[in-house]
Amino acid sequence: MADAPPDFNPSGGPPQDLPDLFTPEETIKRNPIVTGLLALIPGAGHAFIGRSRQGAGYFGLTVVMGLLLYWAQVTTEFEVFPGLWIVLLVVAILFYVFTIFSAVSLAGDAEKFYPRIALILILSFTYLLGWQATEVNLQKFFTEFSDTFDTFSRILWPWNAAIDPIEDVLVVSTPFLAPCPDDPIASSMSELDNEFGAQITLEPGCGVMNEDRTEEPGTDLMLVGTGFVPNTEVVLWWEDPIGEDFRPNYDGETLSVVTDADGNFELAFEAPRYNTPGQAVGIQEHEAVIRQLIDITGYELSENFLLALNRLIITIFQALMATSFGIIFAFPISFLAARNLMWGSPLTRVIYYAVRFIMNVSRSIEPLIWAVIAVIWVGLSPFAGVIALTIHTIAALGKLYSESIESIDSGPIEAVTATGANGLQTIMYAIVPQIIPPYLSFTIYRWDINVRMSTILGFVGGGGIGQILSQWINQSLWSSAGIAVWMIAITVSVLDYASAELRKRFV
Amino acid sequence: MLVVENLSKVYDNGTAALKDVSFQVPDGAFLGVIGLSGSGKSTLLRCINRLIEPTSGRIIWDGVDITELRGEELRKVRRKIGMIFQQFNLVKRSTVMVNVLSGRLGYTNPIYALVNHFPKEDRDKALAALERVGLSDKKDNRADALSGGQQQRVGIARALMQEPTMILADEPVASLDPVLAHSILDQLEVLNREDGMTVLCSLHYLDLVQRYSTRVIGLRDGRLVYEGTREEIRNMTDEDFKDIYGQEAERITPGSIMG
Repeated sequence: MADAPPDFNPSGGPPQDLPDLFTPEETIKRNPIVTGLLALIPGAGHAFIGRSRQGAGYFGLTVVMGLLLYWAQVTTEFEVFPGLWIVLLVVAILFYVFTIFSAVSLAGDAEKFYPRIALILILSFTYLLGWQATEVNLQKFFTEFSDTFDTFSRILWPWNAAIDPIEDVLVVSTPFLAPCPDDPIASSMSELDNEFGAQITLEPGCGVMNEDRTEEPGTDLMLVGTGFVPNTEVVLWWEDPIGEDFRPNYDGETLSVVTDADGNFELAFEAPRYNTPGQAVGIQEHEAVIRQLIDITGYELSENFLLALNRLIITIFQALMATSFGIIFAFPISFLAARNLMWGSPLTRVIYYAVRFIMNVSRSIEPLIWAVIAVIWVGLSPFAGVIALTIHTIAALGKLYSESIESIDSGPIEAVTATGANGLQTIMYAIVPQIIPPYLSFTIYRWDINVRMSTILGFVGGGGIGQILSQWINQSLWSSAGIAVWMIAITVSVLDYASAELRKRFV
Repeated sequence: MLVVENLSKVYDNGTAALKDVSFQVPDGAFLGVIGLSGSGKSTLLRCINRLIEPTSGRIIWDGVDITELRGEELRKVRRKIGMIFQQFNLVKRSTVMVNVLSGRLGYTNPIYALVNHFPKEDRDKALAALERVGLSDKKDNRADALSGGQQQRVGIARALMQEPTMILADEPVASLDPVLAHSILDQLEVLNREDGMTVLCSLHYLDLVQRYSTRVIGLRDGRLVYEGTREEIRNMTDEDFKDIYGQEAERITPGSIMG
């Protein structure tokens, strides 16, 4: 994850205690034939002539090559191109032969023996196998790029899904009774309750629904409408006895028709598929519904846009809560993890090492893993994400805080103590002013990271905008996903900039 | 009168920084403490206000053995001893005003520290102290925005807040150029002559010692190797200094010994 706390060696140089692998070893002159025979065991020849580090290296490389060759043969992860395996075998054998020649030649009087050959062989082996193992496919990479155009363009420009039209819809409905009462109803007619004078008539006004248990088709119906807006589409809907609206579906088709020049239409269909619940008693009153879109009066933010916005705000709060909980724990812990405060007695040293160890472990476990654990713990919710981030934050801030304690200037402590100040006063006037600015700086930095991380945690159920984003991706709702992606990107960059600006002021 | 008797300090790592040092400083003296780096000057000054615990020996000031003091008693003595440092030891990110006020902490109720409160009289005192060192226009600046000489004057103002009767100055001008060095030492001289404060000041340069000190002690490898009065110092030659300092002895301004 894009989390790079400045915990590496600040001088930038390599650690000083690296074993010195690069200075040449002294070669002992030996009999080339004996050396060559020993060199049949990779590396043994080199060890014999005093180059044991080089020998160990060659031995290790040969063993690794052999194991990889074997793995390439037996693995079912990818298709090994048969010719390639032979090539790899040849490279490995060449390397083996090279080690023998190298040992023999060095046992004589050569100072070095074409180390470049070893490098070329090792690199060829590595990249040939790597290419296969990761199934690199340049042909697909270039020729099938166009497949992404649709998805990609909708993610890049999702804003048409960000707004919905506000529609003025004419709704006219008329009852349909199922089953028919003793005295069947020949037809039903809607009430005249709109300014257009639009009305519908349904014939017959009662019948049977298409129910699973009877396996009979629904009653054939004829719906006639008058007084609608001319030359405009009308759509058939249905309202069941408990008031649920749905569009009747006939083999995947929904029904609609365009009104004629006088605003009239006719629609023939079967009573739709509907399973009357077992506990329903007697005659059920359905409604046949005609909807006609008359006008678009305006636009409003779409439901998914608002949903994404809601989740974004939750995400920012998640990061805030996690950062705050993190501070509460990290602040005291940082004193326990500060070398200059804890180096006094053996007991405090043990505490120092224990705290450091726990922090390092919890920091090296990715927040994503913590989130999975937290979801099991408290269920799918933003709180799970908060827990995961908090744990990681405690460890990361604890380390950064303790390092800023370690780097405080002891001069002011001395000076304030010399004025006759007591312990509390010394902390407040000599230590706190020194650690507050770096603490603030690190904390803002951490909040910034937490916002970025919490967007990801949603993918494993940690709540927030990530959760809705992963749902939309799974449903291939690319425009909605694009809205979420944009929101994340904008928030992260704004915060990134703001936190950089804020931190500048504290350093 | 400050009496130091058989003072020794051995650090945890085994370094013996002070070895059986004894001397006396009459009230109102300007004592120059000379010696090479590592000769024990800083350790000696810090033992006097117990920033460093002496290993053995006694330090008696106005009849009180400072080495015996604990807790509140120690802090009450400390507040009568101002201290200024080579590296100024200001809290760099705090304002000049807060740095000066922190000199008053030995007098204020510790509870005030939690809310960063100082009584009105203390604020007035701090302004007066800044006025005295010529920095009243800098009171709201961050300490690290000031030049080295200005920072050292803040250090003096901080010490003034303690209303001290003794000042310990540990290489107060070693980080400053010659002109500023004189300006700082002139201020200490005023405190010494006009306010009657005893000053113990470690110094590196021969001419500064001759110009300002009324008494001198010299340390080498933690031992007292020289003790002299004003007249004796002024009659000293460069060769005499080199006995104390070794061959690295130098003057802040080239030329003859100042009068």
